Amino acid sequence: MRPVLVIAAKDLKQRLRDRSAIVLALLAPLAVAALMSAAFGGAENVHATLAVANEDHGAVATGLLAALHAPELGRLVTVDEVRSASAATQAVRSGSADAGIVIPAGFSASVLTASPEALSTVTSVNDTVAAELASSVTQAFTARLNGDRLAVATALAAGAPASHVQALARDASGLELPVDVVQRALGARQLSTISYFAPAMAIFFVLFVVSFTSRSFFVEREQGMIERALAAPISARHVVAGKALSAFVLAATSLAVIGVVTGTAFGADWGDPLGAILVSLAMVLSVVALTALVIGVARTERQAETVSSIVVFCLALLGGNFVLVSVAPPLLRRLALFTPNGWALRGYTDLATTGGGVGTVVVPVLAILAFAAVVGVAGLLLARRAVRP
Amino acid sequence: MSALRIAGLSLRRLARDRAALFFMVALPVLVITVVGLTVRSFSTFPVGVVNGRSSAAAVELTAVLERWPSLEVHEYATSSAASTAVRRSEIAAAVVIPSSFGREIAASGHVEIEVVAERANSTQQAAATAVQAAVSQFSARVAAARFTTAQLGGDFAANLALATGLQGSVPQVRSTTVVADDSQQTLPAGFSYSAPTMLVLFVFINAVAGGATIISTRRLGMYERILAAPVGAGSVVLGEMLAAFAAALAQAALIVLVGAAAFGVSWGDPLAATLLVLVWSLVGAGAGVLAGTLFRTPQQAGALGPTIGIAFGMLGGCMWPLSIVSHAMRTVGHLTPQAWAVDAWTTLLARHGTLPDVTTKLGVLAAFAAGFLLLAAARFRRSLA
Amino acid sequence: MIRLAAPVRDPAVAGPLLRCEGLTRRFGDRVAVEGVSLSLPAGEVYGLLGPNGAGKTTTIKMVCGLTAPDRGTVHVAGEPATSARARRLVGYVPQDVALYPDLTARENLRFLGSLYGLSGGVLRERVAEALELTDLTDRARERVGSYSGGMKRRLNMAAGLLHHPRLLVLDEPTVGVDPQSRFAILERVRTFAGQGMAVLYTTHYMEEADRICDRVGIIDHGHLVAEGTRRELVAKLGEKDRIELGALGDLERLAELSRQVPGVEGAGVADHCVHLVATSGRELLPALLEAADRAEVDITSVDVVEPDLEAVFLHLTGTALRE
Repeated sequence: MRPVLVIAAKDLKQRLRDRSAIVLALLAPLAVAALMSAAFGGAENVHATLAVANEDHGAVATGLLAALHAPELGRLVTVDEVRSASAATQAVRSGSADAGIVIPAGFSASVLTASPEALSTVTSVNDTVAAELASSVTQAFTARLNGDRLAVATALAAGAPASHVQALARDASGLELPVDVVQRALGARQLSTISYFAPAMAIFFVLFVVSFTSRSFFVEREQGMIERALAAPISARHVVAGKALSAFVLAATSLAVIGVVTGTAFGADWGDPLGAILVSLAMVLSVVALTALVIGVARTERQAETVSSIVVFCLALLGGNFVLVSVAPPLLRRLALFTPNGWALRGYTDLATTGGGVGTVVVPVLAILAFAAVVGVAGLLLARRAVRP
Repeated sequence: MSALRIAGLSLRRLARDRAALFFMVALPVLVITVVGLTVRSFSTFPVGVVNGRSSAAAVELTAVLERWPSLEVHEYATSSAASTAVRRSEIAAAVVIPSSFGREIAASGHVEIEVVAERANSTQQAAATAVQAAVSQFSARVAAARFTTAQLGGDFAANLALATGLQGSVPQVRSTTVVADDSQQTLPAGFSYSAPTMLVLFVFINAVAGGATIISTRRLGMYERILAAPVGAGSVVLGEMLAAFAAALAQAALIVLVGAAAFGVSWGDPLAATLLVLVWSLVGAGAGVLAGTLFRTPQQAGALGPTIGIAFGMLGGCMWPLSIVSHAMRTVGHLTPQAWAVDAWTTLLARHGTLPDVTTKLGVLAAFAAGFLLLAAARFRRSLA
Repeated sequence: MIRLAAPVRDPAVAGPLLRCEGLTRRFGDRVAVEGVSLSLPAGEVYGLLGPNGAGKTTTIKMVCGLTAPDRGTVHVAGEPATSARARRLVGYVPQDVALYPDLTARENLRFLGSLYGLSGGVLRERVAEALELTDLTDRARERVGSYSGGMKRRLNMAAGLLHHPRLLVLDEPTVGVDPQSRFAILERVRTFAGQGMAVLYTTHYMEEADRICDRVGIIDHGHLVAEGTRRELVAKLGEKDRIELGALGDLERLAELSRQVPGVEGAGVADHCVHLVATSGRELLPALLEAADRAEVDITSVDVVEPDLEAVFLHLTGTALRE
């Protein structure tokens, strides 16, 4: 046991001396997280300021304004009443409003006639969400207005005599729309950008431990130190285990520090601490397994650098460390589940959104451990041969 | 000319470096693909529909949702699967159509459709609002069909079909759209977003990481050896700058070609785009050679280069559009050359600008390039003396 | 005074400390070492002499337990060389300096010492002792990468002695070393042997073997072609002299022609000279000069040397020790 600790301690001392390792394992992810936090720390939400020009002031216009002030839209929409259509257009153009709605004069009076006035939505190409919001609210409103007219027309088309129009119109006025939307809350927490990307960036940079550790093995072999160590009363097993332990400690420390700093200083929500720790430990084991694999597969330091770079970037790309994987196409989302980091991100996301504990992450942790086991076994077998050819 | 020979050798060594080739060729293409596929649209909400096929009426309602401009429909088998998808932000809202929908709408009471969306989550609420509008449209048909059936009797389904057919043509209050501001401030979604931003990002990062080669050449004692020959220090500096420029330009050209050929990216006005690519390659070359004079070991360059490149990329709008961050962040971002380059690409791709529209930005970039190159040349020369 | 580590079994080990029997090792088709047997008691310096590629390093690696022989056995103090017990008794000093350049001398020594089971106060003492012996105490806190070549070599050797091994194995310790340091190394080896350490020493420098080795084994193409004390080996040559002909021109041709001169037993080219072993060499000089004439070679010097190991080597293998 002692040789393993001695070798791991020596390895860690060398990593600490190598400032580029410190940069990539600690400084870079923190800097990146800080930047993201600064960029997204403010209001992350969809919000639209609507400039509403009520040129009509009639009853129907008032109804539309009431609809715009509905409580469920409170967080979403701020209504800014302006004097005229040109004022609304100007507001959108200048950016003081995200979209606008114009209720033309004579609108209320024309609603029941044969050619009703149209409402208009004033939009900007730079805020299509606000445009859609304004559009949706007005369309929901006008559906009610149009309901009775459609009812009468349908009846006529179904065979009601034309002379009955007046009677039909009277019967149809005030027709209620029977299909209602009932909104149910999930009770889940919103996943903020920083809560997704802090773990994502942390894991991306932690994957570089694979590169440092595997490269150092080949450097040592070149220096004759592996042979020198094997001349001592230790075995190849100790060398492999020592390296694995140093990779483990380095990766775990890196994740822990980034987790604590982003959690406290940048407002990232990693979820239940115990659950997050379990996911993180499983991820770190994957890193160790990958290190063994790279050592087993590469022949020189250069090769180790190339192979580990390719592995790290492909895993990070597929696993969703660079993009919010949830908005990716279904194929990409499924591919992410072939990577340990993809499962880890799912674990952290589930912890943050459900507020659940260890039980929430049983499946991700098992998936990551399975990956680590498969890769680790292959890696260990190959690495043994690299240590003692 | 010895500068050319030095440049040629540096390029040849670069071509043999397989790791560098991965970072310069394969990786940018992979990232452009993944990011391009993910950043598909800024203006639609994906929503899940449960029991969307459980009855003819459900099929019709689903069709209304599918045709709604701001909604993108995905089908889910169960309410819990859809709810989990909402929680994971895979969809913005889940629409649960009751399995008895067909019977309920033909009857006389209220029919409830459950929409799973968090009021406090504005994306979800916005999606729910759009669903509400679509459902209202369908609801109007149902109201009309029930009215007709009540007044005249007959088959509800047939009346519903009549109402559906008439909905488009009956005089009604419509909503028209007026575009007040058509000056697009962000790059179009998809590959036209990822290709230019990743070009800016990767050319810079790889150029700075390439500074590592200059450092290792110096540590090997090769510059000393070269200078022992009748070669002036100026030629060495020029040679390395030419090599860095050629490498950056080749990478940029590759991304432009792959973008156009494989991803259908239109790079805008050819003259302006070419100039932009050339100037950006100069910026990269300057930054790269400067890095070669600033860092002490190749490992430092290899670690700090990408870190600085990513940080500048974030500040400059390569990872997300600067239009979504605060004014202060946007201003800070424009301290980086990346911001000006992304701005220029946005002008060319989103607003179909031509050369006059990007002169200022090109000018700023040229100034950055000149600054980097001059500083790099001075430091490099001093280190060779 | 360095006190040696005690072997695990009997303090007074019966029999030789190192015993190799019939060692054979192949690499693919190439036979690196075949049928090598040697034994080494405590306090003796044994030199394994042979040109590059002869199989010295491979033999060393088998003794240190780094490679297992394909056939044959290696035992240190009765234990198989690959066992941990044996390795604890062996100090290995590799040919190329094997130290971590990014760690300090002290850190390197502490690390290697711990691998040999040293710890706590003992480890501290041994490290201090090693630093003293190598005159590196003042620079112990600096990274080895900043040391001069000579300092690195001294430290390289000290690292192999930390655990006070009973058998010290040195692989070509003086290659590329300046004469002063070479002298110091050789003196140190003699001292260790005087203190009871067995030393296995490989070299291709005959003068070194001459100076410090009690016994010499001559290895060529993987075979141990002769073994014995210097005196014994040279005596086998009998009246044979070694002649060194310094010359300019086609030396190979001269060597070839020389071999045809009756009485010449072996000729080889090394260091711009033709080396010959011949019986009653002095008397052959006229014939040799004539051969030089025929070879159209200009003789610049003639040296008749008393028989030495170089001559032994030449005689046994037909080629020069130095290439």
